[in-house]
Amino acid sequence: MKKSNPRKMHHRFVVLSLLAGIAFIFTACSPAPPSDASSTQLVSKDNNKKKITICLIPKKKGLPYFTSCAKGAEEAAMELGNVELIYDGPTDGSPEKQASMIEQYTLKGVDVIAVSPNDPNVVAPALRKARARGIHVLSWDADAIQDSRDYFVNQATAEAIAHGMVNTMVKDLGGPETRADVAIVTAYLTAANQNVWIEHMKTHIDQQYPNLNLVAIKPSDEDQKLAFKVTQDLMKAYPDIKGFFGISSVSFPGAAEAVKQAGKTGQVMVTGLATPNSMRSYVEGGTVKSVVLWNTAELGYLTIKVGEALATGKLKQGDTSFDAGKLGKKKIAGDQVLLGDILVFTKENIHQYDF
Amino acid sequence: MITYLLRHRAIGLFLFIGLLTTVVSWINPAFLSAQNLRDIAVQAAPICIISCGVMLVLVAGEIDISVGSMMGVLAASMGIMVSASRAQLPPHVAIALTLLIGIGMGLFNGLLVAYAGVPSIIVTLGMLTALRGLTEIIMNGAWITDLPEEIRFLGTGTILSVPLSLWTTAGVLAMTIWLIHRTPIGRRIYATGSNPQAAQLAGLSIKSIKLFVFAWTGLLTAVATLVSVPQLSVVDSGIGVGTELLVVTCVVVGGTSVNGGVGTLSGVLCGVALMTMISTVLIFLKLGEHATYWSRAIQGLFILGAILADHWISNHKK
Amino acid sequence: MKAIFLRTLSLPETFLSCLIITLFALISQLDPSFLQWEVQRSLSSHIWELAIIAIPMTLIILTAGIDLSVGSIMSLSAITAGMLFQAGSSMPLACGAALLTGTLGGFLNGFFIARMRVHPLIITLATMATYRGIAEGISQAKPVSGFPAGFTRLGQDEWLNLPFAAWVFFIIFVSVFWVIHRRALGLHVYAIGNNDTASRFSGIHVDRILIGLYTFSGFASALAALLFVARRNTAKADVGMGIELGVITAVVIGGVSIFGGRGTLVGTCLGLLLIHETREFVSWHWNRDEFILIVLGLLLIVSVVFQKLLRHKQNSS
Repeated sequence: MKKSNPRKMHHRFVVLSLLAGIAFIFTACSPAPPSDASSTQLVSKDNNKKKITICLIPKKKGLPYFTSCAKGAEEAAMELGNVELIYDGPTDGSPEKQASMIEQYTLKGVDVIAVSPNDPNVVAPALRKARARGIHVLSWDADAIQDSRDYFVNQATAEAIAHGMVNTMVKDLGGPETRADVAIVTAYLTAANQNVWIEHMKTHIDQQYPNLNLVAIKPSDEDQKLAFKVTQDLMKAYPDIKGFFGISSVSFPGAAEAVKQAGKTGQVMVTGLATPNSMRSYVEGGTVKSVVLWNTAELGYLTIKVGEALATGKLKQGDTSFDAGKLGKKKIAGDQVLLGDILVFTKENIHQYDF
Repeated sequence: MITYLLRHRAIGLFLFIGLLTTVVSWINPAFLSAQNLRDIAVQAAPICIISCGVMLVLVAGEIDISVGSMMGVLAASMGIMVSASRAQLPPHVAIALTLLIGIGMGLFNGLLVAYAGVPSIIVTLGMLTALRGLTEIIMNGAWITDLPEEIRFLGTGTILSVPLSLWTTAGVLAMTIWLIHRTPIGRRIYATGSNPQAAQLAGLSIKSIKLFVFAWTGLLTAVATLVSVPQLSVVDSGIGVGTELLVVTCVVVGGTSVNGGVGTLSGVLCGVALMTMISTVLIFLKLGEHATYWSRAIQGLFILGAILADHWISNHKK
Repeated sequence: MKAIFLRTLSLPETFLSCLIITLFALISQLDPSFLQWEVQRSLSSHIWELAIIAIPMTLIILTAGIDLSVGSIMSLSAITAGMLFQAGSSMPLACGAALLTGTLGGFLNGFFIARMRVHPLIITLATMATYRGIAEGISQAKPVSGFPAGFTRLGQDEWLNLPFAAWVFFIIFVSVFWVIHRRALGLHVYAIGNNDTASRFSGIHVDRILIGLYTFSGFASALAALLFVARRNTAKADVGMGIELGVITAVVIGGVSIFGGRGTLVGTCLGLLLIHETREFVSWHWNRDEFILIVLGLLLIVSVVFQKLLRHKQNSS
């Protein structure tokens, strides 16, 4: 990096390159104008009712998992008519950015903030501030610290997710009697949600399945390529590994591809959390027997329903059930609204789902 | 003798890689299996391809830290072009367009650096940020999960039982060697980096040389994307994150000077080999769960060690 | 008179001020509620840590250096404080140790750069990985939380209507500003950036100044880390991830030349203000996070192109 010569500028080129850049950006933006699509500002025709603004904040914007949740949320907002839905979150999945978004929405004075916290500790101060301002706070998808939110729209507790994955793996491996080495490919080493799952998985394995031996936990830094590479290396370094848990939506397909390319389909099991679309080819090809997830669109739908009910006072403390429109009655346990059971996608049922 | 060997970065690094390999394969012989060496080579291929471009950028006295986000945009646009549920372009058209987009982004960098005189680190930092946002917008929250077989072949196919990505890497290396040693462009790039004023006085067009190295890097990034992304069945929006740092580290560990004018392909190759094998080595050493959390520190110390050893030796040489 | 007028006009600070005024004018048209003092004050809460690190970064870039390791030093300092607190040490002691760790990390950078003559970009690229790696290793990537209220108040309370961190920033800014403008050190920093070799021959203690600046950068990063931990009540190895790019962007938009020797602290502040307001407003008005990246990237390139054009105008007139 040396100083370039202070020579006469070529204005033409500057202008040209700037124009080229701007044109580039505009052409790229044109399929998705800012006013609609994913920011989803829905305007109802009925102006008599008071508008309720609900912010739905995902852990990481741009993940198909959250996009499919947002679709369900949109549907609920449309159905209710008095809800203005804002869907936005950090594209890089940074907890710090999520916290500052919550602070922004607090200042804007929205009615409900529904957040899927990346790191419950980091967002807690911001959520408490929002509650102090009279904003209804929900956590969805993953729980926040209890005193920083009103309700948790719970599709599955961290414990249930962890147990679900371990049980599925044991079943795929052929029952609790099979002795097997397994490994986990996680997101970042510091990823808060994944670390909680790992803890629960470890204790569950210790208590229930003494024949399962967890030999390694490796990060994939949310990079599919790295997940692929790590899985490849682990299979060679630990030839006895019989199962991989891909516990983020990026590490799961990466791990499955590595097993498939190593020609170990059927010998090495892979399971984890991901949307059915991204795993379809592996499930149909047999590399992956089961994918653990829940109905994401219903989760988004329920979250908006609960948010609206909370803001209009329809949902009161002590209620034990909640009328969730097309989903029917949902149970409320304490301060948690329960969506229902975990779904396990297999060859038999995966074609029924498209998200 | 030893100082002579160490003075040439490539030889020093090569010996170090040899030592590391010996130690690991002594502890875990599986490391030397043909399959593992092949896997390491395939992993290194895209990094190697991009490094060939970035090395020339550094030799010309500039820097390019936008390649990671370029890969993101290229992967996303390639995916959208070929996907059966999106644009459905024929694969060869999509490949050609991807290469063109790569060159286009490289040219954009190059124009701003060479003709608008903006420092390259700023241009490419700006592009690193902007192109990552652009990738998210292109993908619009949905990933591409239906790459056609022809495109998957680029990443998974083999010719004479050697993966396509390795053939491509060999081709790129051969071209780079030819470019450096057999064409006037190569000499001009080195001349521009070691002494821009003199090069200018000698009648070289520094601007067009700079424009060329950036466009070349853009093209190579597109090539790397084409042979590496289809290894996976899903194109996500995070492809390429952090690649720019890895590539710059490889190139710099390989002895290329950030001040321009100095850099050898053999050094860069050794840098790439070292950087891509470290994490595999750490897995094969089976250091246990606690060590997982130290792996980034160990990688950092390797880089630090390589750089400091080199400086120590070159300082003592004087 | 005309010459002075032209000169003022072509200063990066003037250009930035114009940009900022335009931005505010635009905001007041689009969404005046964003401009309320209350909103601005609250939104400022997370800019101060970045601003504190931007001061030493300005000086380092003025010497034609760069420090990519600031985010990693933040993480290492935060983890030091967190682990000590968890091990039962008192909070002031933990904070002291964290500041010491950060300062040491910065000193090592400076030592390698000044004494071993390694290019700052290379060495801080290496220490960036190493420091964060060490933080991940000693914390085993686990978070530390539940700090005492006396400590978290530093990050959450306000003094005279501004967050505590803002006052820390002002104090550092004023003292550094005074040193740069009233002491020979300031001239030396610019001299090193303009011509390192010539500065050595003219008797400037280049090595000492460089080591001092990188050490200061480490200290400031540690301070920012403590403020961050206090504000979010969590210490974890991913603290400060990617902050280096934000800081460098602000400094460069502020008109500091990446080749050294040209730029001012005031420019950096204006740069900070510009990107902060842009980022917050884009997020406030459009609710689309991916726009922010594009806007910031283009803002960086465009503003540097324009500054270059203006300077060229000034040189030719």
